[in-house]
Amino acid sequence: MLANLGNGILMKNRIKVFRAMYDLTQENLASNLGVTRQTILAIEKGKYDPSLELAFRIARFFKVNVEEVFLFDETGDNMKLP
Amino acid sequence: MKRNTFYLLLGVIVIIEILVLAWSLENHIGPIVEISVLIGIIIAYVARRNVTDIIDDERTAKITEKAALKTFQIFWIVFFIFSTGALMNIIGPPQEPAISHYPHPPPPPMFPFPTPISIPPWRVFGFVQLLLLAMLIFLYVGFRIYYARKFGEWDTDEEQD
Repeated sequence: MLANLGNGILMKNRIKVFRAMYDLTQENLASNLGVTRQTILAIEKGKYDPSLELAFRIARFFKVNVEEVFLFDETGDNMKLP
Repeated sequence: MKRNTFYLLLGVIVIIEILVLAWSLENHIGPIVEISVLIGIIIAYVARRNVTDIIDDERTAKITEKAALKTFQIFWIVFFIFSTGALMNIIGPPQEPAISHYPHPPPPPMFPFPTPISIPPWRVFGFVQLLLLAMLIFLYVGFRIYYARKFGEWDTDEEQD
């Protein structure tokens, strides 16, 4: 559930948790969002960071704010001010 | 049309194209291949538009975009080098015929490659063009596989059958 953005900053997401809460399969969620199942799987595994639009659509689908689904890891060294 | 039906259709088109290519090579009819490739691409394009399943989304678009960009970045270098060499051949000084050091006529060319002199220039051009096209396709497929793997195209999990 961690996605490395290439600069050491990590993005986390809780899609799997929300899917479990709503009792949804990846296929169900994917078809509701208009993407492939592999995309949902890739996001869950942290292999792919969704676009801002898709991130918002996922959050809206689960009726939560985007920050509740996607978490920005601010503990990394890259977040320190120069 | 379902996604798998589309892929099946693509396979059938490819097989037909190969058969047409073999037939036209045997009968030395070039335009048949060109026309059949064009028809095949049109059929594939129309079929793709009629696929009801989702086969494209932002992740696949990103994979395609990255693969295409990398292919272009490498291909233009190779193409530039080749074109520069070709340009030098065109505008350079006329080449002197090679002096034969053989006391007798040179041996016949090795099969299946004839001597370059025996091939008309437009055929050489066509052959090189084909090689460049093959390189382009290999580069694209290679990068596509690389990025598809990177963005989790073939990942599996507990939901997979």
